[in-house]
Amino acid sequence: MNESTEIISEILTAIGVDTAYRTESLTLLEEGESRYLRDLKLNFNSTLTSEHLSNKECGLLGLSTAINNNNKPLTQFFTRYAEEQGANAADVAEAAGCTSLLAANNVFYRFRHFTQKEKYTQIPARIRMSLMMKPVTGKEFFELMSLAISAVNGCEMCVNAHEDSLIKLATTEERIFDAVRIASLVTAMGKVVF
Amino acid sequence: MLTIGQKFPSFSKTAVVSIEKGKEFETLTSDYLVNDDNVWTVMFWWPKDFTFVCPTEIAEFNKNFTEFRDRDARLIGASTDSEFVHAAWRRDHDDLRDLKFPMLADTSKSLAEDLGILEPTEKIAYRATFIVDPQGIIRWVSVNDLSVGRNVKEVLRVLDGLQTDELCPCNWEKGQETLTV
Repeated sequence: MNESTEIISEILTAIGVDTAYRTESLTLLEEGESRYLRDLKLNFNSTLTSEHLSNKECGLLGLSTAINNNNKPLTQFFTRYAEEQGANAADVAEAAGCTSLLAANNVFYRFRHFTQKEKYTQIPARIRMSLMMKPVTGKEFFELMSLAISAVNGCEMCVNAHEDSLIKLATTEERIFDAVRIASLVTAMGKVVF
Repeated sequence: MLTIGQKFPSFSKTAVVSIEKGKEFETLTSDYLVNDDNVWTVMFWWPKDFTFVCPTEIAEFNKNFTEFRDRDARLIGASTDSEFVHAAWRRDHDDLRDLKFPMLADTSKSLAEDLGILEPTEKIAYRATFIVDPQGIIRWVSVNDLSVGRNVKEVLRVLDGLQTDELCPCNWEKGQETLTV
């Protein structure tokens, strides 16, 4: 077994996927014995813990990113991980709900922001957001997930608005930074394991 | 008549909730109008039980019961008839037997009076509809004359409008404070 194959099987074992599993991109990395595999593994492992987030929070952020990216194996992995780290069914459900709602908001508000037309800000959005009123994971963490998803979905104003609202809730910049870092690295893993 | 922004009056009334023997009645009070569970209340009134326009309208509300439920809104039907008249009407009419919401009996007419929806000569309630928010504040009122039925879809449309505050910070507008982009 060459080193690439070995690293791939370590990655897959960590995620709980059969070691023989290959996606097209994973096969390409394996055949070319890419050095990137080592980075990928270390980057991904670093999403599971953070100085500024609890393990449970890392798990829920990973989960919402995986759901946002329609990634089945990572959704399953982060659901398990979040639960092992103390998330209950309601927390996990909220991560899923938040992700779906933010997907809507990112598309919708990005459109409003892009066009900058007065008319579109005047017509009511009629998007139900009652989930945001009393999040079981807490107002601050819900904002943090919203920010992470908005960053993945590339909505500039949404990112700025959520960041601003987190700062007003007295969240540290380090914590915000780590949340987005997790979202970016889970997205990266999703390009090779899906 | 009470209107938008006013507190819904307090009350404690018997309501018919079932036609099953021994389980017909329950007391409804204004206590649950104010709640932390974000539950809204929709109360609609009709003039008299055992009349013609009413059951159609009530059946229409019932048909849309799940629409109200999905919006976290409690539906209450009411008239100035007694709970026994309500129960008899429910048993008597095919469309009313399986009503999913309570029929409130404002027998003393005190609530209709407080709401200001009592027709002066016959002392029966107008076809009034109230949407009350989880703080117990009236957010919408509509009243039809005795002979005019209501459009339930319109009530749902209004409820949607009231409930869909754009809560997401993404709903940031030009000129709003301190966002440096």
